[in-house]
Amino acid sequence: MSREDLVTLGGKMDGVEVIYSEQPVRPGSPAERRAERQVAAAFAGAGLSALAFMVIFVAWPWQVETPGGGYDLSALYTPLLGLMMGLALTLVGVGVVLWAKKLMPYEVTVQDRHEGASPEIERQTTAATLVAVGNATGIARRTLVKRSLGFGGLMLGLMAVFPLGGLIKKPGTALFETPWEPGMRLLTLGGLPIRPADMRPGALQTVFPPVEGGARSSDGVAMLIRLLPNQVDEFRPRPGQEDFHWNDFVAYSKICTHAGCPVSLYEQETARILCPCHQSQFVATDGARSIFGPATRSLPQLAVEVDADGYFVAKSDFIEPIGPAFWERST
Amino acid sequence: MRDVTRLARLRKRTSSGLALAVALVAVGIGYSFAAPSSSAQDTGLSVEAMAGQEIYENSCITCHGANLQGVEEQGPSLIGVGEASVYFQVATGRMPLAQHEAQAQRKTPVYDDAEVNQLMAYIQTYGGGPELPAEEDLRDGELAEGGELFRLNCASCHNFAGSGGALSSGKNAPSLNQSSDLDIYTAMLSGPQNMPVFGDNQLTPENKRAIINYVQTLNETADPGGLSIGRAGPVPEGLIIWVVGIAGCVIACFWVGTRS
Repeated sequence: MSREDLVTLGGKMDGVEVIYSEQPVRPGSPAERRAERQVAAAFAGAGLSALAFMVIFVAWPWQVETPGGGYDLSALYTPLLGLMMGLALTLVGVGVVLWAKKLMPYEVTVQDRHEGASPEIERQTTAATLVAVGNATGIARRTLVKRSLGFGGLMLGLMAVFPLGGLIKKPGTALFETPWEPGMRLLTLGGLPIRPADMRPGALQTVFPPVEGGARSSDGVAMLIRLLPNQVDEFRPRPGQEDFHWNDFVAYSKICTHAGCPVSLYEQETARILCPCHQSQFVATDGARSIFGPATRSLPQLAVEVDADGYFVAKSDFIEPIGPAFWERST
Repeated sequence: MRDVTRLARLRKRTSSGLALAVALVAVGIGYSFAAPSSSAQDTGLSVEAMAGQEIYENSCITCHGANLQGVEEQGPSLIGVGEASVYFQVATGRMPLAQHEAQAQRKTPVYDDAEVNQLMAYIQTYGGGPELPAEEDLRDGELAEGGELFRLNCASCHNFAGSGGALSSGKNAPSLNQSSDLDIYTAMLSGPQNMPVFGDNQLTPENKRAIINYVQTLNETADPGGLSIGRAGPVPEGLIIWVVGIAGCVIACFWVGTRS
């Protein structure tokens, strides 16, 4: 049998019949040669783009000149790489589509499909075979084997998930406490203590507790704010926190009570503290009460005073947990 | 007929206006003779400050008051704000205000450098205040230190690349792309509008120069990743990906579909 005969036979065995077939271009015609050239151009272009990618990757001046470099050739490095890779992938696609549309034969074929369900006789015999195999193993009768198998399977499954339990840790008091302790000095990022005269009205200073890695202790970070003279009269502390501020200085936790972002957008004229993540707003002259956005609780206030040497110190830790809510939090 | 009347009325008005002007000039000259002591000796102002006073009384007095005490609902007191504040507000064109809005916007300055100097000299005589830095090179600072200080103190409002950002009630932290070294320095020193003050004891002059060095380096650095899209971060980038990128792909799919 010739190859064409074999293809036809294979189709008939699967119930496939070609009812229409047409060559888009006559073999050897100028149209076929033109289509061929188009496909070849797309593939060659893909290859050249890929090559260009590699050449650019090696040879293009990629190093950013800084400072004062301005816009030079290095600014084009990444865009050119992306352009070349994109061009190469697109041209492969264009070539394949052109090949399929312009050079491959256009065919309509039909295939017979059988009924959805198997014949009755096949279903009954298969079911009988399965039951016979089950009986041969004796699983239903041999209780000891059945139970030990169940035990083994259960324990194997448990073993697979058991190490995940090591990830569960009891948080202890970590969420309720920060490193602040009575008498601890408020330090800047550079580790310097702060005197009241260092800050002019309307100033904001991010402060950290004086502990090992204090500037990286994300839960102790606070904002020391010096209110403007007209804001001092408006200042309303939260009940029970009347002595937390020192003259015109107030200190609040920098961690948002909504989702724990650092709330350091301070508007000195309106005394508003903004959170950049979800636009919550707190009023520094009103005990950092939340007045806008998803945060509902006030920012915890850090009680501050000035020690004998004239530096700001904390009077105690925050009296409530800082940051977002959690299960064990009572308020 | 009507034209003649109008002309006559105009002439009459002009002549009366002229007479008033002459009378005023006469009174003025007479007064200057009657009060012989010069105002420079009276106020003890330098020549430059006197020129500044003249500008002040033309342009600023309406909102800031005759003695810089401020006017309720109009403008704040300028006593003790210092020349740094004057420099920032006037040299960046924020003052004089074009209109009362959420906050003053940067615009083409109304006054040239000499006039800004005169205004600074005048305001400085009222209660002193932060002065301009003496140093010439305001970028003489450690770049890495400037970056750390910028990210802690500035980036939350002005964006990590200095592109600015929104504040409450229509206010915004402006972009630092157009800011000169002295603009940034005086802004930190004086805390204009809603920006907190960063006095020299909080950020030392050396800290400030480091921050300026960092900001200007950012401004001058090319975007190695291609289009910066305002350097405003993932929001506009995501927007471009969805609107331009994904929409482009969908349109391309439709186009391929209609062609086959």
